[in-house]
Amino acid sequence: MKARAVTKDAAQREILLGCVTLVIAGGYYLLATRIPQSDIADVIGAQGLPKTYAALLAGLSILLIARAAMARSRAAAPDAASATPKSRLERGLAWRVFGMLMNGVIYVVVAPWLGYVLSITALIAATVYYQGGGLSRRSVAVALGGALFFWLLFVRILHIAQPAGLWPSLL
Amino acid sequence: MSELLAALGSLFTTPIVPAAFGGVAWGILGGSLPGLSPSITMALLLPFTYGMGATTSVVLLASTYVGAEYGGSIPAILIGTPGTNAAAATVVDGYMMKQQGKGGEALGISLYSGFIGGLFGLLVLVGLTERLSGVALAFTPSSYFALGVLGLSVIATLSSDSLVTGLIAGVLGLMISTVGTDPVTGLNRFTFDSPDLLSGVPPILVMIGVYAMSGLFMKTGEPEWEKASREDARIKFPSPAMWKRIAFPQAIGSLVGSFEGMMPGAGGAISSFLAYNEARRWSKHKEEFGHGSPEGIAAPEAANNTVACTALVPMLSLGIPSSNSSAVLLGGFLMHGLIPGPLLFVNHLDVVHGLYTGLFVANVAMLIIGYLIMTPCMWLVARPKPYLMAFIYALVVSGVYAIQNSLFHVGLALGFGVLGSGMKYFKLPVLPMVLGVVLGFVVESNYRRALVISGGDYRTFIQDPIAAGLLIAALLFISGSLVRHLREA
Repeated sequence: MKARAVTKDAAQREILLGCVTLVIAGGYYLLATRIPQSDIADVIGAQGLPKTYAALLAGLSILLIARAAMARSRAAAPDAASATPKSRLERGLAWRVFGMLMNGVIYVVVAPWLGYVLSITALIAATVYYQGGGLSRRSVAVALGGALFFWLLFVRILHIAQPAGLWPSLL
Repeated sequence: MSELLAALGSLFTTPIVPAAFGGVAWGILGGSLPGLSPSITMALLLPFTYGMGATTSVVLLASTYVGAEYGGSIPAILIGTPGTNAAAATVVDGYMMKQQGKGGEALGISLYSGFIGGLFGLLVLVGLTERLSGVALAFTPSSYFALGVLGLSVIATLSSDSLVTGLIAGVLGLMISTVGTDPVTGLNRFTFDSPDLLSGVPPILVMIGVYAMSGLFMKTGEPEWEKASREDARIKFPSPAMWKRIAFPQAIGSLVGSFEGMMPGAGGAISSFLAYNEARRWSKHKEEFGHGSPEGIAAPEAANNTVACTALVPMLSLGIPSSNSSAVLLGGFLMHGLIPGPLLFVNHLDVVHGLYTGLFVANVAMLIIGYLIMTPCMWLVARPKPYLMAFIYALVVSGVYAIQNSLFHVGLALGFGVLGSGMKYFKLPVLPMVLGVVLGFVVESNYRRALVISGGDYRTFIQDPIAAGLLIAALLFISGSLVRHLREA
């Protein structure tokens, strides 16, 4: 029998995950109770399985928290010498995801106004900058070239519409 | 014979050949970029398949899978970094051969072995799939519910690290599947009065989000990968003596890949390492393994390309995806209103035959394109990573919008990208969630339909012999995994 080795860090992460999913289960259950009842409902009803899923998720979350809490108490605290510091990549993960997400969100917000070509140019330029490519004449030229390429590919060659923006109304 | 003729006939009635060639080319390019897995490469292509015919679309996606499995070996051999997880076993001897000045030969062995493995896998696929789905006409709502439960029971096997986290991911997927109009009463659930959510969350958006978007998000800030020189990129096909030497390892790889491909959660990576291990065990040149053995490339490469076909056996016959890539292919089917499973062979046999033909063409195309594409492949891998990532992001965003001309869908896919990144951070497996999303509607709608038909009598699930058999199989699956997890705990 081999014991499931869990470090203190991993146990804490699992506790955090358990708390997050417990909150999701609670919120989902509340929303499920607001689904109206129907006169033609079957024995299970529209609320039936959603409530079951919420209960299942809550149960699993509690199990995860309990298991991780026990593992944390068993795991020895790492001494300063053997502790592996979190990598730079891991530390900045949330910010990296947030930055990339914001690039996409800004695209979604501005595309109906600026139209496809300008918005996708901005998305490419911002992503290159955010990925460490800097902001230079070259990156702007690549972004413009890329936008033109995608416009030709989607709109002209594949005939797939992309956001037109305000431009058609101004012409 | 008539099926063979029908399959061949689809060569001329649908654009299978260009789809297979295009898919393989895209797959090799995607697979050769470290960090882009076959499933991500396929997910990037999903939006483009929306406007295509069903057969063309599934052939394009399946060919991408075939191409990506070979593409992963290119950086594995040339720069010692596997392009895909399944190519990790190829690094050991492939990179060593390259360092000995035999990179071209290693690439040739990889390409040729992938071709052999792919053809063998296709034979297994054609031989097994239709037999498994032969009981199609006897399926009732109870049987479909039980089939869905059997599919969900796979989650227990997929959760190799922790059963609890696997189940949590699966339940999250089931929750997502309840968004939209209730299948029996027609009431709106979790739609927040948004008309965009009335028809539910399309599984394709979930897949693009958790595979492609989150893959991009998580790659930010990672260092550039090593570049290879163009001199390395000249493929040399094996000599007759070499063909003879690698035939047995290829057979081992094909057999291991056939078995592992059909097992839920095993996939290309596990089968490659198993094949490598078995090839070493049976080799007359054991001492060469780890120091540039051609057999150490032939076995894993044959195995992972066999998996690209055999992973489709449970997906096509039962509607149960056994790997991330087959889950994305399932998304391609669903997008065209095709539901893989028993009835696919009754209602859409032409698509299935088209897929078989397409996979054959894809394997042949791999030999041709694999040779021709090396130069553009090397050019692409040599691009600065920030530009490459920005172009992929623009491609995904534009592609998602193209599905239904909806920026709401782009936002939704971004949201699933964040969810996928969070799941990776918390080490929650993604495939169980995708299974929940895909199978959730099947399970709920058939469960409730069966109860409506039986007047609320739950015995309907054990009185139907198919349903009872599938539920027992699911129970055995779950209890087997539970015992394994308890032993390891």
